[in-house]
Amino acid sequence: MSQAIIEIRDLSLGFSRRRVLASLNLSLGAGEWAVIAGCNGAGKSTLLRAIAGVLLPDAGAITRSAEVPPERIGFLSDRLSLFEDWTVGRAVDFHCRVFQVGEFDDRLVKLLGVGPGSRIRDLSAGERAILHLSLVLAQKPALLLVDEVLHMLDPYIRDLFVEALIEAVSDRQAAVVTVNHTFSEIERLPDRVLVMADGRFIVDGTPEELRGLMKKIVGREPLPGGVPCFFRKAEGEYKEYFIYPFHEEMRTQHALDFQDIALPEIIKAFVGGGYEQKRMA
Amino acid sequence: MNLTIDAKSPLPVYQQVIQAIKLEILSGGLRDGDPLPSIRDLAKLLKLNPNTVAKAYYALEAEGFSEGRSGSRSRVKVPPGRQDALRRAMLESEFRSFLGKAVSLGFSRDDVRQLIERISQ
Repeated sequence: MSQAIIEIRDLSLGFSRRRVLASLNLSLGAGEWAVIAGCNGAGKSTLLRAIAGVLLPDAGAITRSAEVPPERIGFLSDRLSLFEDWTVGRAVDFHCRVFQVGEFDDRLVKLLGVGPGSRIRDLSAGERAILHLSLVLAQKPALLLVDEVLHMLDPYIRDLFVEALIEAVSDRQAAVVTVNHTFSEIERLPDRVLVMADGRFIVDGTPEELRGLMKKIVGREPLPGGVPCFFRKAEGEYKEYFIYPFHEEMRTQHALDFQDIALPEIIKAFVGGGYEQKRMA
Repeated sequence: MNLTIDAKSPLPVYQQVIQAIKLEILSGGLRDGDPLPSIRDLAKLLKLNPNTVAKAYYALEAEGFSEGRSGSRSRVKVPPGRQDALRRAMLESEFRSFLGKAVSLGFSRDDVRQLIERISQ
């Protein structure tokens, strides 16, 4: 895409004896929307926190361009930290002072019926997420890091949340990195999909590339040789085979029904395949 | 307006947006001179990346389906003289995919021909 705003080189990071990120490289451009997927414990959240500057690397470097000073990185995580006893108004004042933000857009919190006098402790998970998002958006972030927040939101709030991210990209060419386990709401948003396993990327491609490279076959017969299967679900009578890497010539070589699948299922197959390889190792 | 995007299609999303808008223009849903939805609105409506919508809009303008004036929204332009050819091309592409399905069900061309005659009576 455009010039890199974040450049990660040979990033390694661990906790006590466990190495979580292993010599990881990543470059992100302005306006780029990347989604990071992977099994639990793959290192997704750790990577996001390292990009946010919350965790310091053991080795390697994270370089931010001049467009991304620390106050223009918006970080949202499922471990939302807000003082429980405070009112919304006080939290807003505090945040705006710390990040030297002039204006707070209260449109979204108002839509949920949350006012400045509401106590943080009385807010639902969804209301908190929207408040947190509004606080972060007030920073006019050049980079938005969203660590799996969608799954705890109801469908209405989820929509508001996703639309607010879309606006940030549209209005300011913000780069977005989301860590997700649920994808249906955002499957058409990323222009880059990264799948992590054991602290490194096993997949880095555009959704179009991945839709071209991964197909599904459902059937009772075993797969013929020469068809590369990345992941299989073979418990029942009907087996699901996820073919990767797929080439169009395979359609002429084999009389099989190679089905197109959407991004959520593609990612599920990559994550499932990761577990399969772990079992076999 | 009825724009649909197929999440399973290997066709890049921006090309699907181009197709969907062309279809809307050719079927009369969007008329000559109508403003195209803003990039921001369409992205929110279809849950698409704004950059994907922008890419589609550039392509539509390059192909002569819209006209932009600086500072204002792009407007639909129905390419004079090309409308019939385009509609025909779309029908043909739909029909090809239908024919592919019919063949995979084991029907012959004659079967399909007879079916069309029977239905259109």
